[in-house]
Amino acid sequence: MEKIAITGLGIISPSGIDKRVFWANIKAGRSAVEKIERFDASLYPSRIAGQVRELDGYSNVSSRLLKKIDLFSHMALVASELCLEDAKINLSDENLKRVGIFMGNAIGGWLYAETELRDMYLEGREGVSPFMASAWFPAAPQGQISINYGIKGFSKTIVADRASSLMAIGYAARTIIRGKCDFILAGGMEAPVTPYALLCCNTSGMLTENNDHPQSAYRPFDKNRDGLAIAEGAGVLTLEPQSRIAKRGAHVYANIIGYGTTTDAVNRIEPNPDAKQLARAIKIALDDAGLGPKDIDYICADGAGSQIGDATETKAIKDAFGEYAKSVIVSAPKSIYGNMLGASGVLDVITTVLAMENEMVPPTINYETPDPACDLNYCLNKAQKKVIKNACIINRGRGGINCVLILQK
Amino acid sequence: MSTQTDIESKLKSIFKKVLDIEETEIVPGAKLDESLDIDSTEMVEISVVIKKELGVSLKDNELKKTHSFNDIVGILKTKTS
Repeated sequence: MEKIAITGLGIISPSGIDKRVFWANIKAGRSAVEKIERFDASLYPSRIAGQVRELDGYSNVSSRLLKKIDLFSHMALVASELCLEDAKINLSDENLKRVGIFMGNAIGGWLYAETELRDMYLEGREGVSPFMASAWFPAAPQGQISINYGIKGFSKTIVADRASSLMAIGYAARTIIRGKCDFILAGGMEAPVTPYALLCCNTSGMLTENNDHPQSAYRPFDKNRDGLAIAEGAGVLTLEPQSRIAKRGAHVYANIIGYGTTTDAVNRIEPNPDAKQLARAIKIALDDAGLGPKDIDYICADGAGSQIGDATETKAIKDAFGEYAKSVIVSAPKSIYGNMLGASGVLDVITTVLAMENEMVPPTINYETPDPACDLNYCLNKAQKKVIKNACIINRGRGGINCVLILQK
Repeated sequence: MSTQTDIESKLKSIFKKVLDIEETEIVPGAKLDESLDIDSTEMVEISVVIKKELGVSLKDNELKKTHSFNDIVGILKTKTS
């Protein structure tokens, strides 16, 4: 595919909001997963999460607007502002009918929704805030960003479980190639640390229950893994075509050069044990990039931390990469700050471009016991020095969703 | 029976609470959309708080006819007299 440049980053994460702080925490493998204390989570099987601590310090959103929007929209607005600043794009100089917004998330704005449902139960219909109508739904952040900046171009919200934001980025890149937008703000946001959202995540059976050890609970590829720790946050990228970056002399973090997506068509929750469709998504993305397996220097894995998730991801990488699978370095840096569900993909992209910039592979943390079913060349516990020219990012979601993006420095 | 000043004062307090704005921004002739930038959901929230605090129900067709702070004061004055 035609190269699409990533020229700006905006990060809202438990590991930091400033991109230098974020990278320092990732490089050090410093866990940001903690016990949930903002509400009583004591009866939940999994009650730990990566939580954003310093959003207000970066927010210029008015208190009047904050009453009307959910936390996931707030994080998306702040991430967008940071991203545009980072990309040095002044929207007053742009044709706003040619600017797009592509955002992904898995569960919508439940902090708002469940508060209002509680009010409906206690006070009846009139107890429900009218702001509910525009606050909770998955496309609300896209709408808020567009209103905030007057952006009027072709835009989409993608809901594809944990693959949502990676899919939004892939779709955005394709949209620029088709000439529908001059540039696009692409990424995702998720706010699952609320009583009802946490319950839904728990009942899916995908969460770790190692509550006594929050910082070491999420352990992708370790034999004793028992699921992921959820996280809240957002990430936004500016995506631009080569013609535009040449004109404005933009800094390019990396280019998106390949994208592939498939579905398992087998199970509502678990991935297909044969992993063939994930392998096919990887092959499609590599073909799209015009690369072979040996060209890939780093794989940023989905790392669901479940027994079947990590084993099938390993199987798919072996299938797609052949004999080179044992050599290419693999990690799941989201083990450091938690799994941001629908926003995990954009954070994987941001982590990977920072890894490229810093010539260092980010680690999978908490790895202690090898598993014969997960026997790739993982970057374990400590960052490793390495020049990364080409990287492959894998995201998966319930419902058998597979999504792969190829980046090039 | 409430006086015009009473109603204005109570409505200003409701506007301030719902919209998170300073009372000085709410002048009697303030236009709901142009001056105060009130959207449809905020208008509904204002009517809900009016009902809770003043015990006055504003119907949808009454709300649609209001264009300024003074228009709402007028309706409240009629309904509370």
